[in-house]
Amino acid sequence: MKQFLLNIWSHCVRLNARWPSIGSIAPFIPVIAAWWIVTELQIFPRAFLPGPAEVVRSFGSLVYMGILPAYLQDSLVRLAVGTFWGIALGIPLGILVGLSQRARTALWPLLLFFQAIGDIAWLPILVIWFGYGLTTITVVIVYTVIFPVVLNTVLGVRSIPITLHRAAQSLGASRIRILWEVVLPGALPNILTGLRNGLGYGWRALIATEIIVGTSGIGFLMFDARRSGSVVEILLGMIILGILWYIVDSWILAPIERATGQRWGLVTR
Amino acid sequence: MKDLTIRNLSKTYFDPYAGTNVTAVHDVSLKVEQGEFVCIVGPSGCGKTTILNMIAGFIPHTGGEILVGGRPVKGPGPDRGVVFQSFALFPWRTVLENVAFGPKMRGVRKVEREKIAHEFLALAKLTEAAGRYPNELSGGMQQRVGVVRALANEPDVLLMDEPFASVDAQTRMTLQEELTRIWQEKRPTVIFITHDVAEAVFLANRVVALSKGRVLEEIDVDLPRPRSWDALNDDARFKELSGRVLQLVRSA
Ligand SMILES: Nc1ncnc2c1ncn2[C@@H]1O[C@H](COP(=O)(O)OP(=O)(O)OP(=O)(O)O)[C@@H](O)[C@H]1O
Ligand SMILES: [Mg+2]
Repeated sequence: MKQFLLNIWSHCVRLNARWPSIGSIAPFIPVIAAWWIVTELQIFPRAFLPGPAEVVRSFGSLVYMGILPAYLQDSLVRLAVGTFWGIALGIPLGILVGLSQRARTALWPLLLFFQAIGDIAWLPILVIWFGYGLTTITVVIVYTVIFPVVLNTVLGVRSIPITLHRAAQSLGASRIRILWEVVLPGALPNILTGLRNGLGYGWRALIATEIIVGTSGIGFLMFDARRSGSVVEILLGMIILGILWYIVDSWILAPIERATGQRWGLVTR
Repeated sequence: MKDLTIRNLSKTYFDPYAGTNVTAVHDVSLKVEQGEFVCIVGPSGCGKTTILNMIAGFIPHTGGEILVGGRPVKGPGPDRGVVFQSFALFPWRTVLENVAFGPKMRGVRKVEREKIAHEFLALAKLTEAAGRYPNELSGGMQQRVGVVRALANEPDVLLMDEPFASVDAQTRMTLQEELTRIWQEKRPTVIFITHDVAEAVFLANRVVALSKGRVLEEIDVDLPRPRSWDALNDDARFKELSGRVLQLVRSA
């Protein structure tokens, strides 16, 4: 028996070494199995809790009809546009506030004040100003992404040892070069943390906004499914959210972190 | 390389918590000739770092003047290279890029500045480490990078604040011997700060004993070069000089 288990184990290890992605799928297998068993046992009515097979089938048909790809694209483009502006505004603002005492005195209270008015709290007034459209959605996402990025950038800038500034200065670096050579890379690990938080919040804000003002997108898909009572599509939407986040995190954010902060020994692996 | 003149230098810090002034440096005058190696030695808190930071231009002085090659110091600049006790290497740059940093800021082309960097890395026996990041090196290696990074920028004066204080005793001895060797080869003007009397006498042409922010005495070190610990450990002249400096520093 022990030998048998060991055999299976070594088999798994070898499989994992050949296809590392299997390792990240494995934890989901028991979850899916449990879900499948619960639905097969008919503990809840089928209409309330459909099984994995039905969700897969609904995935197939929605892809076939072209609805899912279109909605997915809409959601991702909105997130990308919002995130882009969040970063483009957030990083310079964070660096300014981090470097300049005067900017900090002037802007810090404002930052805290507006951070407190959560993204969704802006929706009512944004809908009045911009209507039910892309502008409203983008503003909400920018708003959501920008605060974690700014606050973490400030933290990162201020955590750079003064000796690094001094070293760069006495090697002849101008203020502009120091920005590029010292401040930005020094703050990068914190900026990435801010970005990760920002994206996470932004992703949630996107879904919430699509539910309220959207005419397309994954959030809209789920809300629409509720109206027609299709639990399958709601579940599908939830699963897609999880998978997409997983992909963004493990294919984009984690590799950047590995190549920067971890490589430089600024963050522990 | 140029000479350095310090005249009646003083520094008074304002302590905002106590609301009082603290004078860390009183009326210090010092002349360092081009190509000279001067060690400033004194007990903790006597104002060594303060003096060095003023020469480097990191902090303003409150009295007197500092002239490098006859020109007053206004702020940090590439004419004064600095080696820090905490190394202060750029963690996001490889060893090669760290050493090439100064030339890069001067606008030296990539091929050219990497050639310079390689040359200086070879001088410190660091050729193997060129492609590595600072966090992958031992403390001793990091500080060798710190020294050649400052040297590769060809400053008029090299300022060093207890650069070897945070490495172990054996490594420190090796670094000291290497520094004297490199100094003999390149002959930069050096101001080296330490609280270790033996280190000061081993390295310097001249030792400046400092206490409570004042210069006590300057002692010329006439030991022959090249210097090595093997030769100097039992050297009578070395012992005599060290003894004198130690007495000065302790008596104050
Ligand atoms: N920023 C500051 N504000 C107020 N006082 C200061 C400041 N920096 C240094 N001092 C004071 O000035 C004096 C000299 O400090 P300094 O750091 O120059 O000493 P040091 O000789 O380098 O000592 P060590 O060998 O411990 O490094 C000390 O009494 C210290 O408390
Ligand atoms: Mg000191």
